[in-house]
Amino acid sequence: MAKRVLGLTTFTPTATADTTNLVDATYFGVIQGGSSTQRINILEIFMGGQAGSSAPTFMLLARDSTIAVTVSSGTGQTDAAMDASTAALAAPPVVGNTATTKPQRSSTLHLLNLSFNAFGGLVRWLAAPGEEITTIGNTASLGEVSLSAFTGGTPGLMGGHIIYEPF
Amino acid sequence: MHSKRSHEGWLFSSNGMTGRTTECATITCSHCQQVMIVNPLRNRERVYCTGCDHYICDGCGAVRALNGGKCRTFKQIVEEAQEAAAVGRTPSGIILSPY
Repeated sequence: MAKRVLGLTTFTPTATADTTNLVDATYFGVIQGGSSTQRINILEIFMGGQAGSSAPTFMLLARDSTIAVTVSSGTGQTDAAMDASTAALAAPPVVGNTATTKPQRSSTLHLLNLSFNAFGGLVRWLAAPGEEITTIGNTASLGEVSLSAFTGGTPGLMGGHIIYEPF
Repeated sequence: MHSKRSHEGWLFSSNGMTGRTTECATITCSHCQQVMIVNPLRNRERVYCTGCDHYICDGCGAVRALNGGKCRTFKQIVEEAQEAAAVGRTPSGIILSPY
């Protein structure tokens, strides 16, 4: 019931095809329900390019057909509550970009294409109130979303954040 | 009474090389939650669901047409999963999206 920010200061994504393991720390992250009934809304995504030369980067927010297991955050990734008085949830959502069982992006359930040039480009998406992207539970294929680079282009250095709200 | 435009999200993109910026509205399909960028030059009719009073994506529009206009929103799927869990029926391992 409290908005949180999943941030990543700087990283270079690796272009990865659908239904292929997302290698640790080469994707922005996953957001997965903390229980079989938890609902999570995704309200905003921002990415800013930090590359030193042209770097068309095809970032995709998509549901995962294979769910990540034993998830943790890699270097530079943070997950912070927006409200200073936020109380801890009994079942906190699972976020991170490192896992033992790697997540795989669904080939059919792409939700948002945020292609941009990481050479100084930026992209920001905001949902209208009530129109947020939702996950439910913690199983495939509606229980987890990932933000990762799709095949093609030359993904470049970037940073960004995702604002989400678990219930 | 609300406007369909009140459902629109917002996408802003800037190309670092040329300085060109793009700002456009987005629509979240109420059946599968795929986000679509609104193309103002689109000639084809955008699929509208009278059941949920929302625009839906072309894929869900085709599914809806095949189902005789039946509306099943993503919010319903979420509700059903949570209701099932509340009465002790664990949802099966896979929850399917309508599209």
